Amino acid sequence: MTSEIDKVLVSILQRRLKSITEEMSIALTMTTRSPILCEAKDFVTGLYDAKGKMLEQTENLPILSFSLGPVCEYIVDYFGDEIYPGDVIFHNDVFSMGNQNNDVAAYKPIFFEEVLVGWAACKGHQADIGGAVQGGYNPNATEVWQEALRIPPVKVFEKGRLRKDVWDLIFANIRLDIVPEDMRAEIGSCVVGERGLLKIIERYGREAFEAHKEYLFDSTEKMMRAEIRTIPNGVYCGESTCYFDGKNPGSQYTIRVKITVEDEEITFDYSKTDAQTTGFVNGTYTSSASATTLTFLQMVNPNMPHNDGMIRPLHITIPVGTILNAAYPAATTYGNHLCPNNADVIMRALGPAIPDRVTAEWNELLCSLTTGTDPRKGTPYVDIGFMGLKGGSGAIHGVDGYDHIGMIDASGGVLDQDYEMFEQQTPHLLVKHEYWHDSAGPGRWRGGLGVETEFIIGSDKTKVVTFGDGDVEAARGAMGGMEGTLNKIELTYPDGREYLCTTKDLVENVPKGTVYFQQAGGGGGYGDPFLRPKVKVAEEVRNGIVSLEAARRDYGVAVDPETFAVIEDETQRLRSSRPIREN
Amino acid sequence: MKYKIGIDVGGTFTDFLLTRSDGHFSTYKVLSTPKDPSIATMQGIAEMAQDEGMPLKAFLGAVEVIVHGTTVTTNAVLTYRGAKTGLVTTDGVRDALEMRRGIREEQYNNRYTNVEPLVPRYLRLPVTGRLDYAGSERAPLEEEEVRRRAEFFKQQGVQAVAVCFMNSFANRDHEDRAARIIREVLPDAYLSVSTDVLPAIRFYDRVSTTVLNAYVGPTLKRYLESLLKKLEEAGFPNVLLIMQSNGGVISPKIAMEHAATTLLSGPAGGPVAGVVYAGIQEYRDCITMDMGGTSFDCALIKDARPFTTSVGEINRLRLALPMLNVVTIGAGGGSIGWIDEGGLLRMGPQSASSDPGPACYGLGGEEPACTDADLILGYLDPNYFAGGRMPLYPDRAKKAVEEKIAKRMGYDLYEAAAGMYKVINVNMAAAVREVAVKHGQDPRDFPLVVAGGAGPNHACMIALELENPVLIVPRESSIFCAAGMLMSDLKHNFVRTYAVLLQNADPQVFGRLFDEMKREGKQLILSEGIKESDIEYRYSLDLRYVKQYHEVEVFVTAQEVDRFDIDAMAKRFHPAHNALYGYSLEDQGTPVELINMRLVCIGATEKPRFQEQKYAGEDPSHAYKNQRKVYMPNQREFRDIPVFDGLALQFGNRIEGPAIVEQVNTTTFVAPEFNVFTDRYGSFTMYLKDREDEVQRRILS
Repeated sequence: MTSEIDKVLVSILQRRLKSITEEMSIALTMTTRSPILCEAKDFVTGLYDAKGKMLEQTENLPILSFSLGPVCEYIVDYFGDEIYPGDVIFHNDVFSMGNQNNDVAAYKPIFFEEVLVGWAACKGHQADIGGAVQGGYNPNATEVWQEALRIPPVKVFEKGRLRKDVWDLIFANIRLDIVPEDMRAEIGSCVVGERGLLKIIERYGREAFEAHKEYLFDSTEKMMRAEIRTIPNGVYCGESTCYFDGKNPGSQYTIRVKITVEDEEITFDYSKTDAQTTGFVNGTYTSSASATTLTFLQMVNPNMPHNDGMIRPLHITIPVGTILNAAYPAATTYGNHLCPNNADVIMRALGPAIPDRVTAEWNELLCSLTTGTDPRKGTPYVDIGFMGLKGGSGAIHGVDGYDHIGMIDASGGVLDQDYEMFEQQTPHLLVKHEYWHDSAGPGRWRGGLGVETEFIIGSDKTKVVTFGDGDVEAARGAMGGMEGTLNKIELTYPDGREYLCTTKDLVENVPKGTVYFQQAGGGGGYGDPFLRPKVKVAEEVRNGIVSLEAARRDYGVAVDPETFAVIEDETQRLRSSRPIREN
Repeated sequence: MKYKIGIDVGGTFTDFLLTRSDGHFSTYKVLSTPKDPSIATMQGIAEMAQDEGMPLKAFLGAVEVIVHGTTVTTNAVLTYRGAKTGLVTTDGVRDALEMRRGIREEQYNNRYTNVEPLVPRYLRLPVTGRLDYAGSERAPLEEEEVRRRAEFFKQQGVQAVAVCFMNSFANRDHEDRAARIIREVLPDAYLSVSTDVLPAIRFYDRVSTTVLNAYVGPTLKRYLESLLKKLEEAGFPNVLLIMQSNGGVISPKIAMEHAATTLLSGPAGGPVAGVVYAGIQEYRDCITMDMGGTSFDCALIKDARPFTTSVGEINRLRLALPMLNVVTIGAGGGSIGWIDEGGLLRMGPQSASSDPGPACYGLGGEEPACTDADLILGYLDPNYFAGGRMPLYPDRAKKAVEEKIAKRMGYDLYEAAAGMYKVINVNMAAAVREVAVKHGQDPRDFPLVVAGGAGPNHACMIALELENPVLIVPRESSIFCAAGMLMSDLKHNFVRTYAVLLQNADPQVFGRLFDEMKREGKQLILSEGIKESDIEYRYSLDLRYVKQYHEVEVFVTAQEVDRFDIDAMAKRFHPAHNALYGYSLEDQGTPVELINMRLVCIGATEKPRFQEQKYAGEDPSHAYKNQRKVYMPNQREFRDIPVFDGLALQFGNRIEGPAIVEQVNTTTFVAPEFNVFTDRYGSFTMYLKDREDEVQRRILS
């Protein structure tokens, strides 16, 4: 019935849907209380059609972005005919398409004239979700129950009535009072979405809405297909190693992907990936597929609408039992942090096919959490080390990497703590938070710079938890670019003793006066550094982010240490000492 | 006769409003002169003198006040043409300025680059010396190191120096001492010290704002000195006032010291004017929308006060001074229509700007712009654009829309043009909605005050999209911001950080900090020639629940401050928090934390009076010009509708939509769903037909 399609209305529909999910996102920012939600915005809001297909989303952290749709489809299937106006359904279960235990979603079915027309949903990282330890981050876990309360699809409201018993059952298993408040905020956000979608349908009628929605999906699918068509047909393979499962020192796991591009379809097959770990370093299907999707989206037109049409030509196979899709009842809390490795395999695989669109590798995440009691106030504090964790992104053809951006799964979406607020809210004293010189992988386009962070711990019996990777392999360069630098977290106790943290560590009883030092590595460079304009290298020497020695050694540029001018003949000699590297 | 002049320098035009003491006024538009904006300014003033039949000197002698909004600072930042600037900061944190807290705004775009910092790293110099969170000294300031840094700046030819140390908001001693040394070494440099610019907690906000102030300081100083000299030479003996982004004005001398207060001041006149125009009809709330050539600005006003923000951005750089919260998106007459890879129609944010401009300008533009669609749909008259001074070429508009839009969509020309019109309207409405929702407001409750050359053409459809029943189109809508400038008061913002649980606050510290701010404010405003009795002080506190990350600014009374009535002040916080965020923790007894104390010091200026017209009856026929074919967006058809001369419409004249009301620089499209009523100042109120009684009552009473 394309003759009835008003193409202008399709554009307008897309903009209106976007606007509604934005409003849902604003509402959630304003009504939640956990800093992970209202400050770090670790949540996503979206609208879905009656079948659970994505209509539009507002995504704050890309890693969460593609986790609402699969659960919505699961819920539609699970409840079948028993979905009613006024229902609200909660969900977090990683063995029924959830991405991470702490990410708890609320779904509200939307009815128009008694027909199910769509869903409003949001999902955010909750401050606690039961399990063995507060906050849900338990490196000792071996099965899901040690990590979290499982919430398979469950109605907390049915036909508009609160199921008090169900509500109480859930929150009797969760430690913090702000969690039920924040889940109420999620329901509120869904109501905002419901109102918005109904207004559209009231205005145009259900049939017109359905028809135009399909046209919108088709149009977006066409955009994605056009993007895929620009990748040469073929089979591309890549692999990447994850180090240390938190239990067995020296352990390694390899992620392997086989990407098949066939005209306008692309398939990501992870069948050859290593088996799951016995600890908590395991992915879930949805977290891994989200990582795949967000990495691929960084290689295509960034202005594409985010709806079902966009993902139709993408196919992802991740067998159960692999580290990317652990079998029941594995522990999986670390799963989202496998995203950097997953991104690496895709970039490594597609690099030869579309060298201009992949980046060199990003610095892998290594994060820490410090908790203790602030002696100035006598009250507990928790600090997530956002400023310390963000290393550099990989360079891409034509553009240097982004300095101090952090993990690819957030891609610059999380803010550092403000230094002065940090000193108000924790007892620590910040000594240093600066670009780390010579940390960026040299290249014609250099990697993003990493950072060095140092602070003096101001509480006794402090607990330092670390999680991440990147202390064995640095971010690789691409097309002749060089690698970035490694991650490290080190504690120097007041008695002079030094302790190098592992990447999945839990250090207790850290005394006041201990110096916390962290290096977040730089991203990989792209193209031979000998091709980088020498004036640019000299400028970076003057700015103190490239040393004189590195300029000579890596870039083949001799710089006068007084004037920072390029020493031309010396540079020429250095740069002609070897042929240009192309990979 | 006495005069007042408002001057708003824009990217394309410099707008003027001339008001006379008899209540009459006139508007002027002169092409801007970006290289030296004072040329256009003086040219406009010369035109006025000529029209008044007076020699320039005599005319300027009769001008009591000139209020001037300038974009020289904003442009200096956008084009990186500010001063060569150095930063002296605490050892260990010199990169905060460039890191911008580690954000990348476009998460899926790996080609998106960080903003070039205004101070390169080799001019961001660390010094030893450290204050802790409470302002106590952990390490003394190395004064010799500061001197060496200053010597280095001197050798490098630095023109402006910013000083910002960790935790200086709690103790300004180190900054004061550093500033003294720098002043000795570099007596001619522009010095910007964070405790003078913004003595408030949050290091990145403060360092970024202090650097912006330094970077634009010399530029503004040069410009204002030259303008003052020109005015003086031309015989102007009275007061020049400069517009700030906070919606108030200041004397040029103070502006030169606090140059950053003029950044983003361009659209700040809009909300100020909105308060006045909505107030005429006794509305206390409104939304102002200003649609110009390249951008669409909107702002919310509640209880006759525009919403403010202290997390502004210019070119992605944080400007944390309190300013009117004017939100700008890329939508204007120049916005270009295009078809995306999926075959969908999009509008903007790219703009044809004024060069080459929309295709219909005939200046070589070939991309179909919003103005081209407006012309094809009959909203604009090709022979009466800019009052007929600028011919439009419908054929070129048609060609562009036909080739770039219609053919690609498989639509006819008119469907394509109507599509462009609708899509851009939805974009603008969405921006307004999002602003309102962020402030916790429902936009339907707010009348829309519509301005800008292109605004009144699109306003009815935006109102329908937002479900707003009432719109006000000021008679001066095309020079709206210039009008707002003449309605602005002198205004200075002060802030002090006092981070403490409210219940533990020391009444003496609390009192001393407000006294300090009051003393500074009074001194400034008295120096600007305001009588003490005309000074108003507004007190507010930035409060939050303990462990939260964001504060809510809560206004408190002088009495509560004087009596140190903590309970009363906390009582104001809980409902404010509830209104914004949907909950309050009053019942749980969660402690309230004080972060910042703020004082706004306002010196009332004398406002121009506009002459009221006599009631002239409903009949608008004397203003009838002709008929033309115009597209009705919701009815999807062209109709012959009447065109009226806006300048001839008088108080009480009523027009039934659909209709067109033409003024020299604006055309208003009255959609069939609306009627129009002319108020006693000659402005137009459009309203949904079923609101007739209510609107008439407001206007006639």
